[in-house]
Amino acid sequence: MSNPVLSDLEEPARKVFDPVQTAAKYAAPLFLIFLIVIFALLHPNFLHPLNIFNVLRQVSISGLIAIGMTFVILTAGIDLSVGSLLALAGLVAGYVAKGGLADRFAIGDSVASGNPVYMAVAAAVAVGVVGGLIQGLVITRLRVPPFVATLGGLTAFRGAALWFSEGGPISGFTPDFTWWGQGRIGQVPIPVIIFLAAAVVAMFILAYTRFGRYVYAIGDNANAAALNGVPVRRITILVYVISGLSCGLAGFLLAARLNSAEAVAGISLELTVIASVVIGGTSLFGGVGGVFGTVIGALLIGVLTNGLVLLNVSSFIQQIVIGIILVAAVAFDQFAASRRPG
Amino acid sequence: MEMKFLKKVMPAAAVAALLSTGVQAQDLTIATSVPSLGFPFFVHMQKELAAGAEALGGISLISTDGENKTPKQTADVEAAIIQGVDGIVISPIDAVAMAPALQQAVDAGVPVVTIDRAVQGVPGILAHVGADNVKGGEAQANLIVELFPDGANIVNLQGQPGASPAIDRNKGVHNVLDGMADKYKFVAEQTANFAREEGASVTEAILAGLDSPPDVIVAANDDMALGALQVTSEQGLDIPIIGFDALPEALGSVRDGGLAATIEQFPGGQSRGAMDALVKYLRDGTKPEAVILLTPIAITKDNINDAERLGELN
Repeated sequence: MSNPVLSDLEEPARKVFDPVQTAAKYAAPLFLIFLIVIFALLHPNFLHPLNIFNVLRQVSISGLIAIGMTFVILTAGIDLSVGSLLALAGLVAGYVAKGGLADRFAIGDSVASGNPVYMAVAAAVAVGVVGGLIQGLVITRLRVPPFVATLGGLTAFRGAALWFSEGGPISGFTPDFTWWGQGRIGQVPIPVIIFLAAAVVAMFILAYTRFGRYVYAIGDNANAAALNGVPVRRITILVYVISGLSCGLAGFLLAARLNSAEAVAGISLELTVIASVVIGGTSLFGGVGGVFGTVIGALLIGVLTNGLVLLNVSSFIQQIVIGIILVAAVAFDQFAASRRPG
Repeated sequence: MEMKFLKKVMPAAAVAALLSTGVQAQDLTIATSVPSLGFPFFVHMQKELAAGAEALGGISLISTDGENKTPKQTADVEAAIIQGVDGIVISPIDAVAMAPALQQAVDAGVPVVTIDRAVQGVPGILAHVGADNVKGGEAQANLIVELFPDGANIVNLQGQPGASPAIDRNKGVHNVLDGMADKYKFVAEQTANFAREEGASVTEAILAGLDSPPDVIVAANDDMALGALQVTSEQGLDIPIIGFDALPEALGSVRDGGLAATIEQFPGGQSRGAMDALVKYLRDGTKPEAVILLTPIAITKDNINDAERLGELN
């Protein structure tokens, strides 16, 4: 790096041991392990491989989007449009796979293949990327705050999904389409493999590329980053594109998993996704956190929901528990931030 | 940090876990799942399922809430299989999207009975108990024909786009009236998302846009009908309004001369019937009819005593 100030950003001078900071770093993984132990003790089948893979598959869709969301939140942004974009991308994938809306409800043996699966995936990803790009441009060029820009996206993409699908689902795909959501390699479900692979790639990008350092720098202080030559606009657009891309892929996977793309899919999904990121220790103020934490946060929500269902806890109490944990995580984040030097 | 979580979370979770562990001898464990406990209709369904199980005796219930999200309901079904339940009674959120999860249940040897909404493409389903939403829409339309034999201008408040009851009820209304399009005209058709406030605001907008008030308003559920009623009574218009679901509040309104009618689908009867069918199969091996349909009827002031939930009114 030629820029001395950015080199400083690479290695923050926070070597002094601070128990609060340390706890903030390891709280989520430790709490996850704690939950797993408790549920394993309380329910004999919790650790059954089938259940483990159920939980992993259940979190893989929202988890995949949470990985994209982590990039956005690291820049101190937010993407509320993810659930709507997922629905739109899933429908487009279904439309392409079926080659139109003509036999949109044909399921079972009567399913005829319209277009090959790779075209459906490409279409879904393209929808996600374009959606993210539009929002990134609105945020950087029109200077609309991310919350408002993506709130607009939340409404507009949902409307587009309903309009595009005429309100109804597109159902019934070929086995090589549904394999991506329902298939397994060995015992491991395909969506889980994609989720974990995406996490590894994202961790690598954030840790070892210049783009990754820029993302943190913008979240730390966008003005300072700009003064130091970080292309703030371009990076900001890119993080929304990444978020959109993850929605596109997730929309395809969900359609494959359910054998149906629904215009009403992913309603309020943004809340689960943001909760995963935040519980995983990424600060809503940007600059702090990472994808490892997000994976842990997603697993934590998945394990908690699954364990409480296995223990036959009322679904109302489940929601209360998850709400409390979310608030506790952010409160702790605030507390840790207030003690952070600088 | 852990201690913080511990203090906050564990009491709730532990207490709930203890409370839910039954001690008396139960020979059957049955999982129930409804689309969303955010809607009184499904709360009633869940209560009736519990009452049905209680009446049969010896059943411990695992009740889950789909929260109107297919992935959540899928996760609940997967958990039920892991728990090793003896059977599942479910009202699927979506006919197709819930098929993979219910196929898993069938493959795992867990008998499944569906209520209210059937599931498509799962041959191993033990039985479906329901009332046909299309028939319910037709009952609404038939009532319109009865009320206005010479024809009518109709406002149609549709349900949430994409939701299968919304699609089916709308289809039922059109099935009957489209054949007499010269007499029965839809002067406005708009969605109000099954919600009361939208029922009111959409009706307001429609009335403002029409040259003369419509003869009748038909709504795909009671909430929208009651919202519309709010507006018409504010404006001093006497337009018959037909709801759907026979919720207690709507029944009260029908009784007191507010709504003209609502459609009764007997969700309680469906729920108890489904529980009965499943338990009979599990205990005696009696295989139920594959499809058990209750015929929906229009409830007006004249036959209000046929309504299932009239007793909930005080």
